[in-house]
Amino acid sequence: MSETICPRCSSSGAATDYQGMEDGTVIWTIHRCVVCCFSWRDSEPPSSIGSGVRSADFAVDAANLDRYPKILQQ
Amino acid sequence: MNDLAKRARGITSLRDFLALLEDAGQAITWSERVMPEPDVRNIAVAASRDANGAPAILFDNIAGYPGKRTVVGVHGSWDNIALLLGRPKGTTIRELFFEIAGRWGDAEAQICYVPEGQAPVHECRVETEINLYNILPVYRINEYDGGFFLGKAAVASRDPEDPDNFGKQNVGIYRLQLQGPDSFTLMTIPSHDMGRQIMAAERTGLPLKIAVMLGNHPGLAVFAATPIGYEESEYSYASAMMGAPIRLTKSGNGIDILADSEIVIEAEMQLGERVLEGPFGEFPGSYSGVRKAPIFKVTAVSHRQNPIFENIYIGRGWTEHDTLIGLHTSAPIYAQLRQNFPEVTAVNALYQHGLTGIISVKNRMAGFAKTVALRALSTPHGIMYLKNLIMVDADVDPFDLNQVMWALSTRTRADDIIVLPNMPAVPIDPSAVVPGKGHRLIIDATSYLRPDPIGEAHLVTPPTGADIDALSKQIRAMQGGAAT
Repeated sequence: MSETICPRCSSSGAATDYQGMEDGTVIWTIHRCVVCCFSWRDSEPPSSIGSGVRSADFAVDAANLDRYPKILQQ
Repeated sequence: MNDLAKRARGITSLRDFLALLEDAGQAITWSERVMPEPDVRNIAVAASRDANGAPAILFDNIAGYPGKRTVVGVHGSWDNIALLLGRPKGTTIRELFFEIAGRWGDAEAQICYVPEGQAPVHECRVETEINLYNILPVYRINEYDGGFFLGKAAVASRDPEDPDNFGKQNVGIYRLQLQGPDSFTLMTIPSHDMGRQIMAAERTGLPLKIAVMLGNHPGLAVFAATPIGYEESEYSYASAMMGAPIRLTKSGNGIDILADSEIVIEAEMQLGERVLEGPFGEFPGSYSGVRKAPIFKVTAVSHRQNPIFENIYIGRGWTEHDTLIGLHTSAPIYAQLRQNFPEVTAVNALYQHGLTGIISVKNRMAGFAKTVALRALSTPHGIMYLKNLIMVDADVDPFDLNQVMWALSTRTRADDIIVLPNMPAVPIDPSAVVPGKGHRLIIDATSYLRPDPIGEAHLVTPPTGADIDALSKQIRAMQGGAAT
């Protein structure tokens, strides 16, 4: 399990989905949280991906995922 | 038919339209190096401040995406919409509305099929080791979006219970969030055609395969978002409205797709599965919540050589979303109302996908406009979206807000409003007390008729009509000439 921490729900273990390369150099990396499904690029401004900088209004509580409604229920 | 109209009818692809826009000064290429975030968003927002004249912007130098291209703002201004309809820059919104309304039911659909081997969309094919990030130069559209969204994807699908029915094949624009290299979620609601098909597939256990088209014929992008009946084909409708053939081919998973799209993603829904989706900065100008949405697994991707990824900026208006769908939200409501009430003279539902609409009507009797308003609420789009309705007389242009405010100021009594509580409502309306349920407001700003004893005995009638419209344009043109 990776050490990468999700900026949205603070879970560890994020997957690495893609790396933007130029002439063999990694320019940025896209990560995805396997707990809350947040995807981010490590080159983004802190307002989007900075722990403690992001608005708390957009945090996801990894311990309480049941609170999020399921769409298109029969 | 003039040259502009001929060229518009000759469009078969995004590339054709970008060339047309560039020739008219309505598309620019941004070759200065940009970061995916926040640069693409910032530039798109800056452009959309000019709702009348913003150009499409093609980025071809995005850090980390060498050789890849993305375009925003293709439908981002009234001038771009005018050119798509074969009309000159500077055409008024009212004129564009009647251009579209006049085409309604006017022409037959022309569908032609291109063999798969000859379809440009299939020039390149990816069936193994699929990584969408390797094909799509995505970026975060708004800063608190839950991930990387495709905001302008036309999703084609067949009715899982009637897969051979061409008319029941659905094409709609739904927001998609990438969920890893080969998966994405799709957001919809039960009243949308896609929502119906997802629920039908899960109820019956039948597979639901879709084809996601990106970088499309600009007519489809407009008309796929138009609320027409469930059994009407969006392809046929788009062809009839453009007055030109639509070229279709088959996707690898057997769905009719545009032959000239830039990119097509083939995918299958994972029945019964849901993963977290959102937030997403939506058209009311606020973020949707986080919800669990259906997830699709990508099975293959086709694309043109050197494809252009088309996306949209959407958020607090004006944005491309408003110019993309505004008139084509208004025109169907107008046409549907006129089937019962030919007294309706125009419909302006430009605001936030029709959350506010203004309808002009020739009042037949006292209170008649309220009756028309109630009918508007039962049109396909009105059922979920028409939250605030302002009814004005036929002598008021609903596209001229100064005139609408005049009607509100002089013709409305405080008791001339109706509030309908606890009606169905589009869930992302941020003012809803409960998502999916809300109140409707009808403001009758029409003048008084008998038996009402009060009215405007001596109304000033300033000169109006085509001559005055032409003079207005002449004045604007003279101003423009002076500025340059």
